Amino acid sequence: MTAARDVLRGRLGLPELAELRPGEFAAEVKREQLPAVADQAAGAGLRLATLFATDDGPAKGCALHHLWAAREPPGFVRIWTRVPADSPRFPSIAAKYPVANWFEREVMDYFGLVPEGHPNTFRVALHDDWPDGFPALRKAFADEQKVPRVPGNNPHPFRPVLGEGVFQVPVGPVHAGIIEPGHFRFGVAGEPVLYLQLRLFYVHKGIEKRFEKLPWRHGLFLAESISGDTAVGHALAYAHAVERLTGVEVPRRARYLRTVLLELERLYNHVADIGAIATDVAFAVPASRAQVLREGLVAIQERLFGARLLRGTVALGGVKCELTLGRRNELLVHLDRLGREFDDLVKLLIDSGTFTDRVDGTGVLGTQAARDLGVVGIAARASGLDLDLRRDQPHDAYASLRFQVPVEEGGDVRARLMVRAREVEQSLSILRQALEGLPEGPSFTPLPDALPASSSALGWAEAWRGECLHWVQTDEEGRVARVKVTDPSFKNWPGLGRAVPGNILPDFPVINKSFNLSYSGNDR
Amino acid sequence: MSGWTHVASSTPLSLARSFAFGLLQAAVLLAVAPLLRGVIKKMKAAFQTRQGPPLLQGYYDLAKLLRKEPVRSETASWVFVAGPRIYFATAVAATMLVPVLFAGAPLEQAGGILVLVGLLALGRFTLAIASLDTGSPFGGMGGSREMTVAALAEPALMLGLFTVALWAGSLNLGDLVRTTAQRGPSGHPSELLAAAALFIVLLAEAGRVPVDNPATHLELTMIHEAMVLEYAGPDLALVEWASALKELLFMTLLVNLFLPLGLAASAAPGAIAVSGALYAGKVFFLAVAVTLVESTNAKLRFFRVPELMALSLGLGFLALAIRFL
Repeated sequence: MTAARDVLRGRLGLPELAELRPGEFAAEVKREQLPAVADQAAGAGLRLATLFATDDGPAKGCALHHLWAAREPPGFVRIWTRVPADSPRFPSIAAKYPVANWFEREVMDYFGLVPEGHPNTFRVALHDDWPDGFPALRKAFADEQKVPRVPGNNPHPFRPVLGEGVFQVPVGPVHAGIIEPGHFRFGVAGEPVLYLQLRLFYVHKGIEKRFEKLPWRHGLFLAESISGDTAVGHALAYAHAVERLTGVEVPRRARYLRTVLLELERLYNHVADIGAIATDVAFAVPASRAQVLREGLVAIQERLFGARLLRGTVALGGVKCELTLGRRNELLVHLDRLGREFDDLVKLLIDSGTFTDRVDGTGVLGTQAARDLGVVGIAARASGLDLDLRRDQPHDAYASLRFQVPVEEGGDVRARLMVRAREVEQSLSILRQALEGLPEGPSFTPLPDALPASSSALGWAEAWRGECLHWVQTDEEGRVARVKVTDPSFKNWPGLGRAVPGNILPDFPVINKSFNLSYSGNDR
Repeated sequence: MSGWTHVASSTPLSLARSFAFGLLQAAVLLAVAPLLRGVIKKMKAAFQTRQGPPLLQGYYDLAKLLRKEPVRSETASWVFVAGPRIYFATAVAATMLVPVLFAGAPLEQAGGILVLVGLLALGRFTLAIASLDTGSPFGGMGGSREMTVAALAEPALMLGLFTVALWAGSLNLGDLVRTTAQRGPSGHPSELLAAAALFIVLLAEAGRVPVDNPATHLELTMIHEAMVLEYAGPDLALVEWASALKELLFMTLLVNLFLPLGLAASAAPGAIAVSGALYAGKVFFLAVAVTLVESTNAKLRFFRVPELMALSLGLGFLALAIRFL
């Protein structure tokens, strides 16, 4: 494995690169070197997967981490630097790498560290009435303290509207229907949208801070509830991190069952999303057919695993569920029927002229824009970016299964719909392989009593929406010191902001639905 | 062809009796209009393998809304309050000009096609103006969209009606119906084209897919619903009720202008029963057609709606032109 380390070290031009464990590398650099190393990494084809800070206590101060993902050789490289208490600032790379934009501002909001040279140093996560000088993720901030709110302390600057007949249309944060809160500010000239400004973080729950207060075994339940529709994805990412941290090998049977769970989650979400896209263009018949298929899936999930949305199925060290031969066959039969009905559904949609007219060329996110913004998952693959951690850095049983990664070039609503439709096909094939080849043996490995002290590990999972990353760090006593959660939505929301301008206002809902991003996962 | 021949020309009524008759007709249509929407909802639900709301849900909703207190924005002026009332009043007045069960309309001497179109335009105009009154962005957006669609739907409606008027040589809706009833449906291409044009107008005026989506909760995609988003309680009840009445009115126009089968010549209970049953059947048939269109189409991109309305307009023109061949 040192070969991979040497290749990456050479590409990044680093004197040292530690290999923490297979596929995970780290190097400390001087603060002022960060932008140069970023240039090297980006030049070598690595992409910024996440960016975060840690507070390592009064003695060591804070640290800033860039996490880069390399495809060949596969691996995650964490470049980090100390940020001493007497100089709470770090060089920004956002001007050159827009993917860092929200990440760096979030570090500013929650750690009080200033990104120097950032083109927009306004708050991203904290809202207007949060007082200055209360960085919530610093260790000195006690989460039970009462923070004195200051109304109007830091009013959010909305882009001014200029020109004759140009208006702002504010939408949200409270929406009709069962939708999470988020504020959208449109600049419109009649119906065409000139720009879209997002205001999120209405459902910030302090989850990352909460992880630090919980026993690490309980963290799994917290991970499951980061985004309700990605319970398995986040649970797996957290479990992977803890398992890598403790060096526990998950039994083969558990890896296969986890794959089954993750693909079922992908399946029910993709089917529901395709129906939701039809709903948003008032194509009611296929929409209700999709709902029937989705309901069939979550109902059988409840029967087989005890939870409609698969909560409580993943365990640290394995899975908490079993599949007997009879139930396995029941699932296979159900999936066969679903496959046939799903094909009919897709045909019904793409054979309808009025439907394709609504989705073709609507909400285009270009390949370059998607790459610059660090968009991941379905949205990335619909914009021509061939990214999928299941193939690129396989977790669970994916290395032993055959599947393709569908990529579409269009970047429009139709492309995102087709990526989903083709992924459903692949998921069905993966599920068939995993269920038919389900190995015998234990489905669980007990974990040690304690986490290793002063250590860190990354866990990842390619969930249905995109990659979920959990980076877990422990302190000198083996307690959780920091968990950085990166939900795919955090990187994809700016992609939505980019895809909407140039379209007409009534098309926004269907564009939004084709991304279907999580507010809860984004805001955490 | 006996069904066509027993229709006699209407005997002029006194103004007071005409007016009473008109009110009665409006009341009957007001009473059944929510049922029509319920029937369409039920049929749409069947297409979606759903059960759908009860047939009478429209009445429950109206009863609920009428009991509530109206919530109005502090910035709303009298225009906002007047909007739903004028909209409702114009819809009711328009009903009196249209023959429903009889071979004549209660107030047909008061005006014909032009008054009908004018009344409907007045109602729409008032509601659009009222939608701007509170300054909420959705209201103005909906109002502007409604007027965009109406600017094309109105001429199409007039062309379609004029084509029929040319056959009758009159602008009076009673004359139109009586002429068609006497000679029977000709099957002439101009009549078919005019009927097609008016069917598209019906979809637009009733806010149906592919023009608008009556079932959506997405404010940004709405046309009619966005325009009336600010209304609550009895104000909203008036808007909803008048919209349902308008939809029934357009269907009545379509069935009675092009298929005036079995209209009652007198107030004899037997004749009214026959006429009522046939009318219900014809409107139901049209409701099935609307359901089919709504279930097999996605809503058009808003900028494509003018193309559909232009199609309706084109059909209307063609109908008129063919009439002279």
